[in-house]
Amino acid sequence: MRLFKFNPLTAKKVARFKQIRRGYYSFLAILALVAFSFFAELFINSRAIVVSYEGELYFPTYGAVIPGDTFGLGYSYETNYRELKERFEEEGSDNWVLLPIIPYNPYENNEYEGVFKPAPPSFSEGHWLGTDTTGRDIVARLFYGFRIAIFFSFAFLILTYLIGIAIGCLMGYFGGLFDLIGQRLIEIWSNLPFLYVVIIVFSVVPSSVPVSARIIILLTVMVMFSWMGMTYYMRTGAYKEKARDYVAAAEAIGASTTRVIFRHILPNTLATLVTFMPFTIVGAITAVTALDYLGFGLPPPTPSLGELLKQGTDNLTTAPWIVVSSFFTLVTILTLVAFVGEAIREAFDPKKFTVYR
Amino acid sequence: MKHFNLLKFTPLPILLLGGLLAGCSSKDESATPADPETQARIEAMKAEVQEYYQTKVSLPPELFEDLEAGRVTQEEVDKRIAAGEFPKFFNFKTPADLPDGLNWKDGSDLPEIGSPKAVKGGTSYSSIQDFPRTLRTIGPDANGSFRTYLLDYNALQIARQHPNSTELGEDGPLFFAELAEEWAVDKENQTVYVKLDPSARWSDGKAVTADDFLFMFFFMQSSYIKAPWYNNFYNRSYRGITKYDDQTFSIQVSIAKPDFATYALGLSPRPEHFYGELGDDFPERYQWRFEPTTGAYVIEEGDVRKGESIVFTRQKDWWAQDKRNIRYRYNYDKRRLQVVRDVEKAFEMFKKGELDAASLSLPKYWYDKLPDDDKLVEGGYIKKAVFYNQRPRPPYGMWINTAKPLLNDRNIRIGIQHASNWELVIDKYFRGDYERLNHTAVGYGEFTNPDIKARPFSIEKALESFAKAGFDKRGSDGILENSKGEKLSFSLTTGYQTFQEPLTIIKEEAAKAGLDLRLQVLDSTAGYKRAIEKQHDIHFMAWGYGAEMYPRYWETFHSLNAYNPDGSIKVQTNNLNSMAVPELDAMIEKYRNSSDTGEMIKLAHQMEQLIHDEAVFVPAFYIPFYRAGYWSWREYPEDFNVMTSDSPSEFSLSWMDPKKKREILDALKKGKTFEKSVKVYDQYKSAD
Repeated sequence: MRLFKFNPLTAKKVARFKQIRRGYYSFLAILALVAFSFFAELFINSRAIVVSYEGELYFPTYGAVIPGDTFGLGYSYETNYRELKERFEEEGSDNWVLLPIIPYNPYENNEYEGVFKPAPPSFSEGHWLGTDTTGRDIVARLFYGFRIAIFFSFAFLILTYLIGIAIGCLMGYFGGLFDLIGQRLIEIWSNLPFLYVVIIVFSVVPSSVPVSARIIILLTVMVMFSWMGMTYYMRTGAYKEKARDYVAAAEAIGASTTRVIFRHILPNTLATLVTFMPFTIVGAITAVTALDYLGFGLPPPTPSLGELLKQGTDNLTTAPWIVVSSFFTLVTILTLVAFVGEAIREAFDPKKFTVYR
Repeated sequence: MKHFNLLKFTPLPILLLGGLLAGCSSKDESATPADPETQARIEAMKAEVQEYYQTKVSLPPELFEDLEAGRVTQEEVDKRIAAGEFPKFFNFKTPADLPDGLNWKDGSDLPEIGSPKAVKGGTSYSSIQDFPRTLRTIGPDANGSFRTYLLDYNALQIARQHPNSTELGEDGPLFFAELAEEWAVDKENQTVYVKLDPSARWSDGKAVTADDFLFMFFFMQSSYIKAPWYNNFYNRSYRGITKYDDQTFSIQVSIAKPDFATYALGLSPRPEHFYGELGDDFPERYQWRFEPTTGAYVIEEGDVRKGESIVFTRQKDWWAQDKRNIRYRYNYDKRRLQVVRDVEKAFEMFKKGELDAASLSLPKYWYDKLPDDDKLVEGGYIKKAVFYNQRPRPPYGMWINTAKPLLNDRNIRIGIQHASNWELVIDKYFRGDYERLNHTAVGYGEFTNPDIKARPFSIEKALESFAKAGFDKRGSDGILENSKGEKLSFSLTTGYQTFQEPLTIIKEEAAKAGLDLRLQVLDSTAGYKRAIEKQHDIHFMAWGYGAEMYPRYWETFHSLNAYNPDGSIKVQTNNLNSMAVPELDAMIEKYRNSSDTGEMIKLAHQMEQLIHDEAVFVPAFYIPFYRAGYWSWREYPEDFNVMTSDSPSEFSLSWMDPKKKREILDALKKGKTFEKSVKVYDQYKSAD
């Protein structure tokens, strides 16, 4: 039994989308990655999944830090589970440790040949893609970097669309002086140089602000300078729909402005909106990567694709695996999202045969 | 890093990556006849200067201390000046008034620096990270690293301290003549007499005279230049100047410090004829004008391409080119400085031969990016050199702001010391090449306290100390908390992008001791501003100390530079610790006014101990050498460089043969190889 039914038009669009294999599989792949990233801590982490010690079971992944003292290691900071595993194995006791597939977190520095420097990919060490310039595992940094980037861009998408749609629809619906003034204000606003604002804002943000708040500030600044694009489409959409009879009918039976805009006009302009979504995600990932690359993005040592890319280009000849893995990761993500975007656009296109075929 | 003690010290800019370049300067473009308005302005300034010479008096150093401490008011001082209580600063006498029995010297008995093999010619190619914001050498924005090329490495002084010797003669450090023909030191009256070299010329052809030195004092003391530090320095360090004739003058220094002669002999004149239009609009008016120089290099018209490059040209028939200690230096005909913002890109350009040299002081360059078995090194196209120098070491470390909550607790500061694992960084990241710094004043010979050792990384000791401050239990994230639920968390800021990686290691290690450091890496200007505005919790940086005889404490540790009289934080000073300890203040004042070497050494050791006990500075590391890679068409003297140099280019000792450059590039194409050269010059290696 289905919980809800699409209306026939939507169902047709969904079916059409599924038909476009490239886009559909890309969509599934991204969905899988996002779903996987919710549980990334179980697969890529320095914390063990399960520790069995003296007959008791410990699950360190999601809880508080378990100090080394708990397992008789004689230190009060977080247990090094890789060492613990080796120790248990050496002792040959009944204690055991189950480590994630990649037993490294994105922050810890691992030595290679006795120093902190990039190590080439090695399966035996568990560094599948090698390590970066201070010996941090690249898979871990890429994956957690991806997770931050994708959630960042979802948040970015939702916020820009909320603002863009609301203001765009209002301008289109009311028209006249409101539209005229709104348009001019947007023109002025969009002429502010975004990059300078980011630089200035981050130079005045006190360093006492924690990382999470800094990410929110970055998001806010980016949203502030990105919602304008959407207003143009929604404005034209609203203008067009407003002239239709059904809007006049709705108004005639006394529907409120909010109701007319959000129940009648908006659903009919949705097609435009949906097709833009994936490309906004691409844009947001690119923007946050670029900002990190330039050093104005997320504060170190937050894992990020842009920072890794920068390290890669800085060490092009001495550690090519850094740039290769970060470049391919970025290209893959962006390509997948773009494929989804193309497919959506085609699925929503009333003309069945288009160039996207 | 700056030269001698007549310059304000600045944050160490790009020591490791900066260039292997030498300095240069500029040319007067005001030769065109001035319009009537400007002419009137010049006349007015002339009158103002003369008036100043007549009225300026010299105040005793104690009075400055009293003024600063608020023991006397400016009005009282003004009254006493009006009453004629103080002697005049500018004095005019005749050669007959010169005292008898002066012991004139010219430093020609000292060994000469540079190599007689040096030839003139060729162009050197180097990079700078940022285009300079001004071509002035004083005033707003002039304190950047580009000043080095204009002034420090180029302009001549009356005499220069010999860079291969830190020993003391009867008059203090040993000097060789630059602008002077000879000089004499009168220790009793802390006065230095100078006879200028009659051939000394500004780059616009005008003679350098005693008047340029009188004017220098007017200039450096005037409010027009918008440089309060220099105003203060030139007011309180000197008692006066006396002109005997156009070539002869004497300068009296305020305090008979053991190296007081440096204060006089280290001076560079200012061209009076160039600064005729001086006024309140000085910063804008002179922003892109090149001051005529006494040094070898000038900037010719059209050689400043804003945002891109600057070319310095060696003057034809430069007046000092045959002078002892100068003749084998400043060898290139042209020096081209190209702006390359990305350090890694500059390094690749060097490997392609577009730049002549690169710093290899960072281990990743020395071992990974240009290893000894690199094709270019194996083939002898690029040479590598390690040079151990001897000089005050820039104090790389974490400056803790004691004005911030929790950081005002000494136990927390001691905990931070023990929680900072610089041993690991030096060992594993710098690959054991660098040395652990023990305190703020390393490399000053006897003045360096040998007994202080930096606190080692120790989780137990850190936890113990944090516990004393009430932080005794770990939260769920492993970070310590106190009973109020406050977290032990501070921001760690820096303007050095180069050192982001070691700082992330420090952060990870500190977490083991329950200390959370929130790392923030800013660009260099923003980072420096954050620190001198005292907005930081903990800031990582080093000061660029000059090759001075003894460390300075007033700027960095005196309470006057920490708090205003009303108790608010004093910004724009070098006291990054907001250090205000009365006992230390007293010692600093005594040290500052002391002329007894033994007493100064004792005080320096005591002050350093007190700073160590207060645990306000986490010493990180120092680099006992510099390393360079350079294309083999570039030549250096047999012993490579001089003892106190801080970079291969500081004393402009290198040279090149343009023919050889073509040969080498040609050989590289054809695969013809040369002898490999990786050399260690450890003749000046010492245990600091």
